[in-house]
Amino acid sequence: MTSSTPASFSMGTADGLPEAEKNAAESENTYILRPIFQQRFRPSVVKECIHAVLKEELANAEYSPEEMPQLTKRLSETIKDKLKEMGFDRYKMVVQVVIGEQRGEGVFMAARCFWDADTDNYTHDVFMNDSLFCVVAAFGCFYY
Amino acid sequence: MAEIEKEDIDSENAGADEYTACFEDDFEDYEDDFEVCDGDDDSFNELEPKEKIEELPLARKKEIQEIQKAINAENERIGKLSCRLSQKPGLLEDENSSPARAPVCGIFIDFATASRRQKSRTQALKQKTRSTKLLRLIDLDFSFTFSLLDLPPVNEYDMYIRNFGKKNTKQAYVQYNEDNVDRDIQTEEIETRGVWTQHPGEGTAVSGGSMSGDPRDVAAAPKVDTPRLSSFLRAACQVIAVLLEEDRVGAEPSWGPRTQDSTLHISDSSSQLNTSLPFLQNRRVSCLCASQVQRQTVVSVHGPPGAASAPVLDCRYVLCVWDIWQPSGPQKVLICESKVTCCCFSPFKAFLLFAGTVHGSVLVWDLREDSRIHHYVKLGNCFWTFRTATFSTDGILTSVNHRSPVQAIEPISTSVYKKQSFVLSPFSTQEEMSGLSFHIASLDESGVLNVWVVVELPKADIAGSVSDLGLIPGGRIKLVHSAVIQLSDSLSHKGCEFWGATRTLNVKFLPSDPSHFIVGTDVGLISHGTRQDLRVSPKLYKAQQPGMRPVQVNVIDFSPFGEPVFLAGCSDGSIRLHQLTSECPLLQWDSSTNGHAVTGLHWSLTRPAMFLAQDDMSCIYIWDLLESDLGPVAKQLISPDRLVAMTVVGEAEKASGSFLALVLARASGSVDVQYLKRAWAAPVGDELRKLRLLFQEAL
Repeated sequence: MTSSTPASFSMGTADGLPEAEKNAAESENTYILRPIFQQRFRPSVVKECIHAVLKEELANAEYSPEEMPQLTKRLSETIKDKLKEMGFDRYKMVVQVVIGEQRGEGVFMAARCFWDADTDNYTHDVFMNDSLFCVVAAFGCFYY
Repeated sequence: MAEIEKEDIDSENAGADEYTACFEDDFEDYEDDFEVCDGDDDSFNELEPKEKIEELPLARKKEIQEIQKAINAENERIGKLSCRLSQKPGLLEDENSSPARAPVCGIFIDFATASRRQKSRTQALKQKTRSTKLLRLIDLDFSFTFSLLDLPPVNEYDMYIRNFGKKNTKQAYVQYNEDNVDRDIQTEEIETRGVWTQHPGEGTAVSGGSMSGDPRDVAAAPKVDTPRLSSFLRAACQVIAVLLEEDRVGAEPSWGPRTQDSTLHISDSSSQLNTSLPFLQNRRVSCLCASQVQRQTVVSVHGPPGAASAPVLDCRYVLCVWDIWQPSGPQKVLICESKVTCCCFSPFKAFLLFAGTVHGSVLVWDLREDSRIHHYVKLGNCFWTFRTATFSTDGILTSVNHRSPVQAIEPISTSVYKKQSFVLSPFSTQEEMSGLSFHIASLDESGVLNVWVVVELPKADIAGSVSDLGLIPGGRIKLVHSAVIQLSDSLSHKGCEFWGATRTLNVKFLPSDPSHFIVGTDVGLISHGTRQDLRVSPKLYKAQQPGMRPVQVNVIDFSPFGEPVFLAGCSDGSIRLHQLTSECPLLQWDSSTNGHAVTGLHWSLTRPAMFLAQDDMSCIYIWDLLESDLGPVAKQLISPDRLVAMTVVGEAEKASGSFLALVLARASGSVDVQYLKRAWAAPVGDELRKLRLLFQEAL
């Protein structure tokens, strides 16, 4: 039997802002259709976590084009790590962070997913101050 | 290795994505593995092109991979065995370079790739089977669209406010008329004012509406209560006029000597009524009459002018109503077309003037009327209002009207009568209050005594009345004929057919009981009658001389102090004092005027025992019965301006002391007022009792 070590890699997107990470779980012969109840992806808990992170990081932040790329990456990594610590077993996580400047423009963000609604879920949080707005969306998909 | 790994992933992905499983790869083709080997290079070279060729078809790739896996697995087993045997350090290198070192034997079996292939193939197969099984159990579908952020664009105002800042500022707004949602109203309401005008104008008003002035004018104009204002002005004007007159009289020294000149020795002072007005020029005064209630009101009747002055006034008689305290001008000026023979005031309030004319008509002037309904004539520099009669019996009521000149006109007060009869009715109170509780009696030459009722209409109609043809348009007083008393009947059967028809010359009503009246005739007799035609005694009052004589009883006068006595003055100069209850006179004086006819006889208004007489030789006699009952106590000749008419005015209860004045009309047309000496004016104490004693003694 061959065993593959978990490998992690990054995926780039067109605008360069978001950063995604994938956690490949161990493949076994058996599959689980439903997660263990305590380990379900709970949006409220996740949202609290995200909110805390945002509040801490962005409390006095001002938008500056030089710093923002670093900030977004850092934020997404932090949140991802926190989510990993939460112990959602066999869950694939996607964390998307968008930071934009408040210049009076109108912004609308939407998302749609194709998944199993019983096991998969998402959560999002918005942080706004005078100079910037920050949207964090976290998707959790169960790996059967 | 990287390539192989990639291929593995691809195959796995392909297996996961694709629903359809491909079973054709189960049967492998090992043919490619067995090749003729020409050494390492050849095998190596052959391997590479083989690998290149095999990469293209995917289905084939898997076979190759599996074979390679198998080969590798074999090689590893072999490698491990040799390692155990030899224990050489280059074992790992051997392992790594195992695919490079092809098998030593002739036929090279590419086990490496084959094993690799096998491995990947199994993995992919596993994945595929897994996915197919799972997909049957789970169902995937689209989720709701999550709206992650909805940030609307900022509107300009908010941007402005953000830039504006929040320190030390506060915004507030006020909107006028904000409940009116369908219009933007920012201004106040437009004030409008309606104004109209008319051309040609009808009447006095040619324009109306508010004047287009400043708003503050409108605001400043106070609300005027017009009726109150006009009544106040009316009262105030009279007071001011009196005060001004007194002031003028007092201030002008030029009046002094004139006053001295004109004062008679019987009087203390005098004043002259201003008869030098333009419309009174060249007019003779024909008679004077004083009001019995308003003691200062006198009316003078002026004849037509000798010279023409104004078209309105020529051929017309002018009556002036004077207030003796304002001699500068008459209070009211009345005009009449026919000759006025007699006149009298209304008894309780002197607001009506009655007159009888030579044509037998009775006229009434309402002195309260608005002057706007009468003629305005400009004479000199002033405007004068000439009032025509409010009501005239001319031409109407021909069946009851007089057919001969009216000799006397007298008011009969009805309230006193009613009081005596103890009849209380609400009617009388109202009439009393309005001052109309009296009747008017008019006597003409032929002995017809008409009694008229004075009616006040509630509302004046400026258009005139269709039914009352004698009423002036805008007038409110009219006369209604009440009763007629034929005196000729009572006089005729007295055996005087010898003298022709008796003429009745004057009538007087008993003040205490107005149902009784006495009529003076031209045969020296005075007839006594009642309105209700009751039997009275005595029927006649004769002179002391027996029989009938052709003596005209010119004047008769009742005592104003309530005594039932009257005086009679005759054309032969005799003066008789009669008591109502006896036919013969109490006292008679025949020669007091030296045979001249007595033309005027007046009891004093202040003293019961005094009276004044006037004869046709322009002499005035003052009688005081307490002092002397044989003749007059004073005599005054009025010359050179002869006396035409005389009347007495006086006030007994005046605060500063009673006054008695004679109003004398002269032949020149001037009228003056003589205030008699205090001795004759002031009442003596207990005079009435002494007079009664005198009368008793005379009986």
